[in-house]
Amino acid sequence: MTDLALDIVQQILNGFLFGSSYALVGIGFTMIFGVMDKLNLAFGVTALGGAYVALGVFHLSRGPFVLVFLTAVVASGLIGLVVEVTCFRWMPRDYPLAPLMATMGMLFFIDEVVSHATHGRPMAFPAPMGTAMLEVGPWLLRGDLGFMFLVALAVMGLLWLLVYRTRLGLATRAVSQQPVAAQLCGIALRRVNASVFVLTGMIGGVAGALIGSAVGNLSPLLSLPLTVKGLVTAVLGGLGSIPGAIVGGLLLGVVEYQALYFFGIGYRDMITYLMLFAFLVFRPGGLLGQRAGG
Amino acid sequence: MEFYQSLLTLFGFRILLGLSAYVVILTGQISMAQAGFYAAGAYAAGAASAMWGWPLLPSILLGGLVGGVLGFLVGFPALRVRGLFLVIATLAFTEIVRMAFLNLKYTIRVGERTIGPAGAEGFRGITYYYQHGWAPWHILLFTWAFVLAALLAFWAIDRSRAGAVLRAVGEDELAAASVGINLTGAKVAAMTAGGLVAGLAGGLYAHYATYVSQEDFGALLAAFAIAYPLVGGTGSVLGPVAGVLFFSLLIDGLRFLGDWRNLLFGALIILMMNLRPHGIVDVGLVRRAARLLRAPRRPAHAGP
Repeated sequence: MTDLALDIVQQILNGFLFGSSYALVGIGFTMIFGVMDKLNLAFGVTALGGAYVALGVFHLSRGPFVLVFLTAVVASGLIGLVVEVTCFRWMPRDYPLAPLMATMGMLFFIDEVVSHATHGRPMAFPAPMGTAMLEVGPWLLRGDLGFMFLVALAVMGLLWLLVYRTRLGLATRAVSQQPVAAQLCGIALRRVNASVFVLTGMIGGVAGALIGSAVGNLSPLLSLPLTVKGLVTAVLGGLGSIPGAIVGGLLLGVVEYQALYFFGIGYRDMITYLMLFAFLVFRPGGLLGQRAGG
Repeated sequence: MEFYQSLLTLFGFRILLGLSAYVVILTGQISMAQAGFYAAGAYAAGAASAMWGWPLLPSILLGGLVGGVLGFLVGFPALRVRGLFLVIATLAFTEIVRMAFLNLKYTIRVGERTIGPAGAEGFRGITYYYQHGWAPWHILLFTWAFVLAALLAFWAIDRSRAGAVLRAVGEDELAAASVGINLTGAKVAAMTAGGLVAGLAGGLYAHYATYVSQEDFGALLAAFAIAYPLVGGTGSVLGPVAGVLFFSLLIDGLRFLGDWRNLLFGALIILMMNLRPHGIVDVGLVRRAARLLRAPRRPAHAGP
């Protein structure tokens, strides 16, 4: 095989593995949209906020990575609940613009809290895998990316069990299809909504911790790119579709790494956005979306 | 005095930007593309006056024209996506424009200096005002001429059939289409008008700032563009103005809080949306105010 082909396959592998973190962030956006028909622009920053709390705990305790990781999950879940209460609970149900604006305010707010707490400086995040590498034939698998992929896979499996095998999952699916009918069947809409926000927040915490450990540090500058990447993932897969977000995230990862290889960092994001724009125009429902153009 | 003049000039740019988002919101669409139109207008107008030696007015108008054409072009593909998908698509557009300017290198020698867009270093030397000896109050009047023209135009549109058409499309597309309203025409027209106003604002801003950089035109500016009408209210053109006042008083009035004001800023947006989800000047308030103004002119009740 030529060097070029080797490199391309290597970049596909890297992109595929890193894309699993985009998939997790995309799931967060897509689930909230699926259940509430509203965008939560604060989701990316929820994930980042949780990762920062975990980093704080790490600096105080110097504890093991498992502790850091669990802190991120719990903290993001709590932030998710705060977002639900402050930006969604008291808003008019049929007017999606008010929560859109409020979550944008929340994005600024959490971003500023993080900037204040860290003086805007990037901070090192603990990496459980160090610089471990796995050789697969002529290719190298980065240990942290492999770890990220496995954890993401586990989270997706748990989510599948939760959505299709529990009463909460049943209620969530009912609310996402017919909120009024679901209420008539005795499903407490508010409780389901709050649960979805806590749950997606926890998924965001996993994503935040994984990204932190793979990138090696956390910076307040991450929040906007994370938000945009999450939105792109959710739209590529079709807003509201969880399998779509997984496919979309992996696809985004692969495309990004290829664009990085061929065009360099200056054009990487431009290619991503052009792909998104083309998708929206030619396939507005996304890859696995049900409703065209929402 | 000069401080207040520059503050008022800044208000002008913000109001124009808010109006450009407002006219699109009337058709029920949320566009984050306004920052992209604004950026394109700024670069085009700057290049016209600083690099090609055009007079000021044609340069600014070129900025508006570029914004309008881009709005028209974005309007068509954007028609295929609705609601929250459009927010994301137009956000991508703004980022594409920003990155195009990040990678754009086009400089020429003018006398002693090299001017023009120089990639990440931005576009320096848009010095028309300075070269022609304009005082701050000249700049203020020039900017506000555009602001007042835009306010009057949108106020008139709101009271005409065209305004009714735009609002009908925004209220209920299906109903609007069934009474024979051309949805494509209405949405593309709104996007074009929005692009035009944003392009003008960008051109004015570029000349005021003398230096523009792609960093100024990112998602944050796009967020502000829709925040002005959404927080201010979409009941009338006064909504975006109210929004600009709300934000400007926060931004410039809370300066004594130093770094903490940004924190309060986010919290206040959340609070405002909880208290008045439809904005400060919402449709209900406009109707009540109109009734109040009309009341004295009504003939007195002539007995049973």
